[in-house]
Amino acid sequence: MAPSDTPEPVLPPSAKKLTVKQEREARRQAKVEQFRKQQARAKRNRIVAIVLSSVAALAVVALIVTVVISNATPKRDPADIDVAGVQTWDDLEYVHTDGPVDYEGQYGMNPPAGGSHNPAWLNCGIYTEEQQNESAVHALEHGAVWVTYNPDELDEADVDALRSQLPDSYIILSPYPDLDAPVVASAWAAQVKLDGVDDPRLGDFVEKYWQSPDVPEAGALCTRGIDGPGKVA
Amino acid sequence: MDPEKSPKQPLSTRLIVGIILGATVIAAGSFTAGFVAAPVTPTPGSTSTEAGFSRDMQTHHIQAVEMSMILLDRTEDTELRMLAEDIATAQQQQAGQMYAWLSIWGVPQAAPEPSMTWMTRPTLDGANHDHGGEDGETSHVPGEPMPGLATAEQLQQLKSLAGVPAESYYLELMIAHHIGGVDMAQAVLDRSTNRAVTSLARGMVAVQQGEIAYMNELLAERA
Repeated sequence: MAPSDTPEPVLPPSAKKLTVKQEREARRQAKVEQFRKQQARAKRNRIVAIVLSSVAALAVVALIVTVVISNATPKRDPADIDVAGVQTWDDLEYVHTDGPVDYEGQYGMNPPAGGSHNPAWLNCGIYTEEQQNESAVHALEHGAVWVTYNPDELDEADVDALRSQLPDSYIILSPYPDLDAPVVASAWAAQVKLDGVDDPRLGDFVEKYWQSPDVPEAGALCTRGIDGPGKVA
Repeated sequence: MDPEKSPKQPLSTRLIVGIILGATVIAAGSFTAGFVAAPVTPTPGSTSTEAGFSRDMQTHHIQAVEMSMILLDRTEDTELRMLAEDIATAQQQQAGQMYAWLSIWGVPQAAPEPSMTWMTRPTLDGANHDHGGEDGETSHVPGEPMPGLATAEQLQQLKSLAGVPAESYYLELMIAHHIGGVDMAQAVLDRSTNRAVTSLARGMVAVQQGEIAYMNELLAERA
């Protein structure tokens, strides 16, 4: 505000006949009054500034939070999951065959993780005995994950621990004698050898490969096929 | 405090308020602009190759399911029943996937143009899908029956048979059906880079080719 905006206070008409002393006093009071008004205005402006900047800061924070939340809702694309040590295969065959398939010789897989298979798929479930490779591979084609374990390295509690981490459907759990790892998880065209039942890579593997849209016939039946020996669930 | 100096304070406060407000407007504007313009993968439109494939392949698959359900009523053969259940459940699941894509893309399930139109459009490499056609003419005509689709009379015929004749007839129809299905899946692979679509189509080509070989064996056993 320019000084010209603050003219000499206009004296009230009654002040015309006042003494010099009284005039001085009136002028002083007028000045005090003016000063108070200025102070009040400054105070009001300060409050307005604080309120406005608070609202503005809040708006910015709210906007950022909204944008961050709407853009970054915890979401992990299975395609982006990197399972350490996973082995994958391209261009597997989908041939139905009644005969045995040499998965190790033909594809370098042991246990098998895809390839030619028996026309009859193994029903998903929990098995206490070794299963036929060719039928289990057909179940993998239907989106199942086959978890095999070395029966010499896992006891019953370990097997239960394994089972508790797996989905209730589209899973085959079975012992696999002479397995070169305590636990091996296999899906169609993917496999990971695990260090034990508490290896965190099992969860990642299931998240990425179980019922994966890249599996040729995900969602086709994993029941009404054949029950292998030792099916307990 | 000098009363003459105090008028300056509201001025600087206003300046600060102005700066803050300005910054807020700019920040809000940028955030809104960024949010609106954030890279969103464009979804296929109603007349896209992907939508055309998703509609036509659903029709195609659902007939394979129907044929398989008919066979389940017409034979007790374990091998053939398992094959029929394999095909029926796999293709019903895939039909559901394609249905869901159309729904997520926000395009109608009903086709806005004749079936197979998408198969007559140029491929990604610019060439036309003219295999089987004469003099570069496309072998697919919009609105004509899809490749490998069985006719109503053929389905009626299948329903009238039982045992080995039903099995053989089912195999004949399904082999032709799969050959047509592979053709359609290959056509979308030639025209689309959509990951979900191409992944499913690649699986269809591989699986159905494997099943064609197997069905030929089963058919030969019944000759």
